[in-house]
Amino acid sequence: MKKYNKIVALLLVAAMALGLTACGGGSSAGNTLNVMLSTNVMSLDTNLATDGDSFEVIADCIDGLTQMDAEGSAIPALAESWDVSDDGCTYTFHLRDTKWSNGTPVTAADFEYAWKLAMTANVEYNYMFDSSVGAVKNADAILYEGADPSTLGVTALDDKTLQVELEVPVSYFPSLMYFPTFYPINQAFYESLEDGTYGTSPKTFLSNGAFILSDYTPGTASLSLTKNPDYWDAARVKLDGLNYQVVGSSDNALTGFKNGTLDIAVVGGDQVTSVKNDAELSKNLQVTGAGYMWYLSFSQTENNANGYLANQNLRLAFTNAIDRQSLVDNYVMDGSLATYTCVPPQFAASSTTGEDFSANQDRFKDVCDYNTEAAVKYLDAAKSELGVDTFEFTMVFGNNEGDEVTKVAQALKEQIEATLTGVTITLAPMTKAERLDKMQNDDYEIALTRWGPDYADPMTYLGMWVTNNANNYGFWSNADYDQLITDCTTGQYVSDYDARWSALLDAEKIVMDEAVIAPLYTKANANLIKAGVTNVEFHPVAINRAYKNAQIAK
Amino acid sequence: MALLTLFIIMFLLFLMVRIMPGNPFPSERMSADAIAKKRAEMGLDDPILVQFGNYLKNVIAKGSFGKGSSLYNGAPISTVLPQCMANSFKIGGISILIGTLIGLILGIAAALNRGRFWDTFCTVLSIVGVCVPSYVFMIFLQYFFAYKVTIFPFYFDASRFLSSSVIPALSLSLFSMSTVARFTRNEMVEVMDSDYVLLAESKGMYGTKLVTRHILRNALIPIVTVIAPLVVDLLTGALVVEKIYGINGLGKLMVDAISGEGIDYNYVLALGIIYSALYILIMLILDIAYGLLDPRIRIQAGKES
Repeated sequence: MKKYNKIVALLLVAAMALGLTACGGGSSAGNTLNVMLSTNVMSLDTNLATDGDSFEVIADCIDGLTQMDAEGSAIPALAESWDVSDDGCTYTFHLRDTKWSNGTPVTAADFEYAWKLAMTANVEYNYMFDSSVGAVKNADAILYEGADPSTLGVTALDDKTLQVELEVPVSYFPSLMYFPTFYPINQAFYESLEDGTYGTSPKTFLSNGAFILSDYTPGTASLSLTKNPDYWDAARVKLDGLNYQVVGSSDNALTGFKNGTLDIAVVGGDQVTSVKNDAELSKNLQVTGAGYMWYLSFSQTENNANGYLANQNLRLAFTNAIDRQSLVDNYVMDGSLATYTCVPPQFAASSTTGEDFSANQDRFKDVCDYNTEAAVKYLDAAKSELGVDTFEFTMVFGNNEGDEVTKVAQALKEQIEATLTGVTITLAPMTKAERLDKMQNDDYEIALTRWGPDYADPMTYLGMWVTNNANNYGFWSNADYDQLITDCTTGQYVSDYDARWSALLDAEKIVMDEAVIAPLYTKANANLIKAGVTNVEFHPVAINRAYKNAQIAK
Repeated sequence: MALLTLFIIMFLLFLMVRIMPGNPFPSERMSADAIAKKRAEMGLDDPILVQFGNYLKNVIAKGSFGKGSSLYNGAPISTVLPQCMANSFKIGGISILIGTLIGLILGIAAALNRGRFWDTFCTVLSIVGVCVPSYVFMIFLQYFFAYKVTIFPFYFDASRFLSSSVIPALSLSLFSMSTVARFTRNEMVEVMDSDYVLLAESKGMYGTKLVTRHILRNALIPIVTVIAPLVVDLLTGALVVEKIYGINGLGKLMVDAISGEGIDYNYVLALGIIYSALYILIMLILDIAYGLLDPRIRIQAGKES
């Protein structure tokens, strides 16, 4: 049977060769930036999109009335300029001459259409119009009382003039305009498409911004954009295009960056350490604020944990038993900031003084600190008030919310149990969806959760702790606090910026004094940026990365 | 018969998906009213049988799996599915071809060289192939052939389909290759020991003719039986390989539908139905193939009817 051996060997070689046939790969050259995304782009429909990665790609392709400068302040984009009435309640935007990628001009009617569409579409971010954020006239009545969407306070006076009426003056209104929910949609194009297909392919998507969508299907792991030659500010755009690659794991991202497949990558945990230890790679490291803050939410209703967590001293015991610095140094490790305020630092600065709302992290040292002595004292007080000696709590957390979250949850359990004698924490890992479901149904005791700012004002956090707010998962309620927030959104402080600012600081103090939540850390991103790539702008709010000024050195 | 099976499977799937924990509309920003409205829009508050009836009507009459709830923010499934199916089917198809071809060759080589080098080689390879998960092999290939030496793209790149499907297809083929090789060897060894092969040899028949006509043909039935479910597995995508290599395929879609932000009922259902339908179809083809491969089955079936 020797004869077969030769045949077999030959066939084997042939089969292997067949399998290996391939054209050699070479990364696309020139002025195209290869950028990593951590998750799928869920939607390119400005009304439907809800996640940061989708917002980033949308903002590459579509301009709003304003856009962010490098520092995050609103600067003119599609609106060349705008006037504000004396009472601060009417904005008149003057649009420049720009075109959609199908050649039709961008008009004020496109904005009016998009905004009214958001009113009817029952979408996640339409609350940005209501009195808690943008306070566009009649938004509350339309969204919550069933009024006619056409009564929304937005009118296209002519093709180039958009008038927006507000219920009350909103000091940060121009900066809301760079949020995708406020972007325009071309009515004729939108309505020519099959229901639900807007933004699901390059053919069903219109761009008016720096880049045009050239390759995309929902769920794709790679999508590409090319420079829009007809962009109104095309001279400023140096890149020929962008290739996005979805990479789910941090070690895979690091290898991809090392072999040159990725020009911009985000790494976490152990990979950050290995980057820092590498003399060459550490030069590429740039830590930027990711905006969102992780915190512990305590259910304060009778339904959970016998209502024990309604006890303020018990909550204060928790918040003082946590070594936040150790969490960020040993478990998160990507440059995230230990946070001792319930509004995280580095995203909201006063427009009059320029001071960061939470620059002073020692403001609440007396109630929120790593102070085991104080923690024990609070715990003893709680024990005698409740007449209980031992506590058992379950802490829910999402195990699909990032590599570090499980580690942080375990560390929290250790820290709390070590300091607070008699307290036992049981960890309950689940998906983020299940965690949210439990929190929304008030079926949890302690939750490790997070919140990202939607707009650059402390209200994006402080608004959550108002009685009956949908995000007030602890069901905490304080009449003084509610009054303060109402004064800031619709009451006496609306037209006095500095008074409002200090009222917000007072409101924050109430939240911290009563330990409504236990702030933990403000997430950062450890970015790897290829040498020679400059002027990529990073923002903690709304649009995380912007490439309109980005350059690649030759 | 096949259609009835599919119907029962659909019903069970429908029930199970509704029981699964998780929220089809995960949202931190929508009010309870808005979520209730969305549930009503999708008919999630109707009695379960009514829901199933409506679903069935939609699938059969319109050929539509409906819209997603959370995944891709409610885009119609028809905008997402074709691309995923194409990717998974192509890569799965290549890996089946490679796996079966190499597996058969290896198995034949081993059987013909019982107790010698090729046999040991084949046995070791089969054990390794069955034990090492395909994604581990993939990471290994990725490291050596896309990182150390950049022959292939490091991530899947649809615009370079052929070169970027080499790594996933090869790694996926490992398991089927090993399984096929092992079965081919064992079956052939058994057939080679049988009286009719001895008779054929004693009549002076040898070489390729003996192997293909008499040995392999008789050994094929069990081999085809093990290949069939492998085909479905590979066609419907490999969860981990697709996720790591960034392939927009059915496996990745399934993971996203279940463990994304929320659980997306309609995607999970659609994928479950596709998987079951494929499985049933392959089994049907298998039954027909038996008859073609083995005249004894044809005759047996003829007698019974």
